[in-house]
Amino acid sequence: MRAPTGISELDAMLHGGLMRGDVTLVVGSAGTGKTTLALQYLVNGATKFNENGLYITFEQMPAQIYRDAASFGWDIRKLEAEGKLRVVCTSPPVLAQFVESRNPIDAIIAEIDAKRIVVDSISHLESFIPAPELRGELYRLVNHLKMKELTSIFTSESHEVFGNHRVVTGVGLSFLVDCIILLRVVEIQSSLKKALTILKIRGSDHDKQLREFEITPQGIEIREPFAQYEGVLTGAPRKSFTEETVSAWTKAFVGKP
Amino acid sequence: MKETSLHELMEKLMGTEIKAELLRLFHMNPGILDTVESIARRIGRMPNDVETEISSLVELGVLRKERFGSLDVVSLNTSKDREIMKKVAALIERGAEG
Repeated sequence: MRAPTGISELDAMLHGGLMRGDVTLVVGSAGTGKTTLALQYLVNGATKFNENGLYITFEQMPAQIYRDAASFGWDIRKLEAEGKLRVVCTSPPVLAQFVESRNPIDAIIAEIDAKRIVVDSISHLESFIPAPELRGELYRLVNHLKMKELTSIFTSESHEVFGNHRVVTGVGLSFLVDCIILLRVVEIQSSLKKALTILKIRGSDHDKQLREFEITPQGIEIREPFAQYEGVLTGAPRKSFTEETVSAWTKAFVGKP
Repeated sequence: MKETSLHELMEKLMGTEIKAELLRLFHMNPGILDTVESIARRIGRMPNDVETEISSLVELGVLRKERFGSLDVVSLNTSKDREIMKKVAALIERGAEG
């Protein structure tokens, strides 16, 4: 029923992993780690869970992906040579034809028996498909992937680094996908930290806490929740008063509570 | 039948600057599956300049052009490319010996 991401704390938050056959949207501004999370999901699938994967990229060239992945110790070229992973670099018009019969992307899925797919990023489709048709085309794409029983991740670029995010596209992609993971940059005590939260999973409970995460030399690692802060999603959180703080305050200024 | 010389083969493969750029692009990024227009953008050239060179590499077998919905999509023909690269290596080796 579940497709583990292989990031243990994230799998715990997801109560075991992504729901098999679902489409997950990973939303975040530039530099929040969307591509790293998506690649880690595919690499772990291929190396730990015997689930081959396909990575579809638009602007980023495969050579750059190989290099960036190598910095986390992931040898994408080797996985490609072993038939466990494939990187396809294409453009939105080609992906939009993905639902046509006898297309080369389906052929690759069949060739490597892919169970996982990443589209990085779905935002590029918005610039190509006219707005009135976009929702329909995305609906078609989502269903095409579901019919193939692929567990998919779409990344989506959010333009706002801080403050209120327009979480997903104006075409209602949030309703089409089954799970949404939000990545944010937040300022805490004059330093930038990264936060992750799961906004929804269709048909499953999940951890609703906002967790700090870091991009380490091994990939994404999730830390403790931002327990002592409020308003983290606004980008400018403030420290919340814990019972301990209130008690100390009372003791110091009011006398014995 | 006359055997292809190293010079002729290299001329066919990399006779122009754009052909050399295309070969470099596809060798470094074998997963490219794209339209002529997008490929032209990826090497910073105009589609009209790139189209003829892609056709020439398709004719040689290094690249493959397939109809995909309403689009012509170009990709690296990995098996043929490997075969040609082996041939180049063999010709270079023979040249070095001779």
